[in-house]
Amino acid sequence: MAAVPEPDEPAKRKGSCTSLRSYWKPFKLLGILDVENIPCARDSILYGSLGSVVAGFGHFLLTSRIRRSCDVGVGGFILVTLGCWFHCRYNYAKQKIQQRITRQGMKNKLLYEGTHLDPERKQNNGNSSN
Amino acid sequence: QNAASPIMEELIAFHDHALMIIFLISSLVLYIISLMLTTKLTHTSTMNAQEIEMIWTILPAMILIMIALPSLRILYMTDEFNKPYLTLKAIGHQWYWSYEYSDYEDLAFDSYIMPTYFLEPGEFRLLEVDNRTTLPMEADIRVLISSQDVLHSWAVPSLGVKTDAIPGRLNQAMVASMRPGLY
Repeated sequence: MAAVPEPDEPAKRKGSCTSLRSYWKPFKLLGILDVENIPCARDSILYGSLGSVVAGFGHFLLTSRIRRSCDVGVGGFILVTLGCWFHCRYNYAKQKIQQRITRQGMKNKLLYEGTHLDPERKQNNGNSSN
Repeated sequence: QNAASPIMEELIAFHDHALMIIFLISSLVLYIISLMLTTKLTHTSTMNAQEIEMIWTILPAMILIMIALPSLRILYMTDEFNKPYLTLKAIGHQWYWSYEYSDYEDLAFDSYIMPTYFLEPGEFRLLEVDNRTTLPMEADIRVLISSQDVLHSWAVPSLGVKTDAIPGRLNQAMVASMRPGLY
């Protein structure tokens, strides 16, 4: 639980919540992107870095132009990161919707089991009438 | 804080989306700055630059559209007013809130902040109040916000609601929490 430190007590931790993870400041890329806590951020950045290295190095092997290869690397980083980000967030959103439907289904099952509102009974009646 | 309402979930997702775009733009700008600092190239007879001008017009327009569309979607979502289950009136005073539940029975009370020296161990400083506002979960609740004296603002971060309390004006906000808790 949060406790107010005494005036002469040194600040022992930076976080104020009880969770262990928040005792340390989260690592933020460029000081803004919290790759630890934002879903899909870490994977997108890692794939983007890999794509950047592959694109830049591949371009260099083909053309031996250093500056242009660096430009291609940065462009590759941006494109691969964006692509992975949108793909991952789309799947994440689908997963959240599925979780919500499942949670609602579990709650309805617990709440209405044995009553006339039981979803399984309605489904079985539908199947038997067919 | 974690989201406790669908609107706040959408706001957090939009924030992540915008932050990733900002991060990529910042990386690009940093790279271009480093290029400018290290180049020896000079070109004194540039006549036109149609291609680069096309790129740096169309690309920012696309980025702005990518940011604006989800933003507008959430904006219209926050303005949706479904049939509310309950109406709560929140009136701001200097310096407390008074709440009224007038749908079923007339219930009104004041809610003062708990002074620090009255707090029990484990209670949150500057957040605890003497009379909490209790609302049903998984129900659309309409909150009518106004003020008795000066401008105030009624906000619940984890529910994604913040509305100004303006004297002489009634502002409306919709609140719907997905799970029980203290917000």
